[in-house]
Amino acid sequence: MKKTILLFGVFCVVLSGFTFVSTVTFFVPHHWPKPVYDFNKNPLSADRVLLGRVLFYDPLLSKDNSISCASCHSVYTAFTHVDHALSHGIEDRIGTRNSPTLMNLAWHRSFMWDGAINHLDMQAMAPISHRDEMNEKIENVVSKLQSSAMYPKLFYKAFGDSLVTGQHTLKAISQFLLTLVSAQSKYDSVMRKESAFTVQEQNGYRLFKQQCSSCHTEPLFTNMQFENNGLTVDTTLNDYGRMMVTQNKHDSLRFKVPTLRNIEFSYPYMHDGRFKKLSQVLTHYTKGIQQSHTVSKKLQQPIVLTSNEKVDLIAFLLTLTDKHFLFNPDYAYPKRILLDTP
Amino acid sequence: MRVLLFFLLITGIIHAQVPTKRLLNFRVCYGNTQTLVVDSFYKLHQSDSIQIEELKFYVSGIRLWNGTKQVWKEDQSFHLVDITQPSSMQVSLAVPANLAFNYITFTLGIDSVTNVSGALGGDLDPTKGMYWTWQSGYINMKLEGTSNLCTTRNHTFQYHFGGYQYPYHVWQEVKLQVNKEQPLHVVFDVKKLMEQLDLVKQPEMMSPCRDAVLLSQQMVQFFKTEEK
Repeated sequence: MKKTILLFGVFCVVLSGFTFVSTVTFFVPHHWPKPVYDFNKNPLSADRVLLGRVLFYDPLLSKDNSISCASCHSVYTAFTHVDHALSHGIEDRIGTRNSPTLMNLAWHRSFMWDGAINHLDMQAMAPISHRDEMNEKIENVVSKLQSSAMYPKLFYKAFGDSLVTGQHTLKAISQFLLTLVSAQSKYDSVMRKESAFTVQEQNGYRLFKQQCSSCHTEPLFTNMQFENNGLTVDTTLNDYGRMMVTQNKHDSLRFKVPTLRNIEFSYPYMHDGRFKKLSQVLTHYTKGIQQSHTVSKKLQQPIVLTSNEKVDLIAFLLTLTDKHFLFNPDYAYPKRILLDTP
Repeated sequence: MRVLLFFLLITGIIHAQVPTKRLLNFRVCYGNTQTLVVDSFYKLHQSDSIQIEELKFYVSGIRLWNGTKQVWKEDQSFHLVDITQPSSMQVSLAVPANLAFNYITFTLGIDSVTNVSGALGGDLDPTKGMYWTWQSGYINMKLEGTSNLCTTRNHTFQYHFGGYQYPYHVWQEVKLQVNKEQPLHVVFDVKKLMEQLDLVKQPEMMSPCRDAVLLSQQMVQFFKTEEK
């Protein structure tokens, strides 16, 4: 008996040395590659993900407290913005590129249309400090968070320290972004053999594999590379993409290949949002390719699709819509926290 | 039993390598002797003047050598030296007592692995103002001020030296001979750097480029040890 009490005592002492963190397991969908994000350096926990979600929706991040990340990345449109071809910042300023979708980010090594950002953690720094987006300094964001009534408590819960730092702010935002995994579309259920394509979708999938998948590679529907897809230069923007980062002329007009998942809801398309409809995108690929020395190899020969084939291809692309993702309550505005706190 | 425990404890204390704190002191001078004073006027070339408002740089990967043999290296060695923050000019190193060494090396700037490691803390926290936002990467050295030579607004110059990707990787190794019996004093002569800059044609450098690489290669020669 004495021994049991002693053992129990030791157990209690050991236990009290730990603070309980409710860990979140990152689920890698079946047959997907290994994520590139190093979760050991930023282990997911429910409190950290929640903090990241609150930050994502809080306009405090912008200079005049008017714009949040969600302003340009709305959950219902696969975390992009459909009203504007180009991103929209504080004081109605307009940026130079179409806001990209946010999903399956744990598999990406570089971010932005030109890959200027080398790590998910550092991504938020770009829109926060861009003059035409949030136009705020990370130093000021940190001091605003520190002096708020709510955030020091949330940081304490998340990181065991109520001192707000740039590192913890960015890591929390990453945690929320990492949870944005879209893998429950009809396409995914067909791949898992839980449902079947229609004849039209099946034909579209065949065409997709012939014509599109070398760049929009399954299962993420991007090869993560930078490609020139033959768009003419918009002379109001003169955006040469990747070349502006590497200063290498071979990268002229190359942009990062975007995912096609949830493409039904993520219009307008292309880095400058020039196409509103998928049919316009397909017309570009069949008739509009502007040849140049950096055009993607696959586009050096014209893509030929009949009008029926285009319809079938679009039918397939619509199977990439993931309603579980678009209407996931875990991604929604955290009103219990942002509205209830004075 | 108790005696044995006591004996073990004592021998443990004697044998443990108690590191001695060695201070590595940085000083920024203008010309041969003068310690740089922020916002003071200094002469450049024959008749021009400059004022330096901001100068900060990263010192990382500090190592001690005995001849060609590395005898000590600092873990998590990242220090932001900022002339406006006196406490940052003194770096405390936990070096074992009686360690023989005659060289110190450190990296001026941040290596490529650290540059791609996501959000980091301490002196590497992005709130330190030494991280580029539009394109990922640390700024290795920030030098800002004014000069009558600059035709920019308010005659300002701004040099942000950084870049970690080939071919514009700018971090450089500094190697200095030291006397282990003396305190470690390292001095950086910013005048020598100012003399290399073209304040008229290129008063700003804000991204990785060939000139940043060339200047960084020269910069390491402007560090010297001094005895006090």
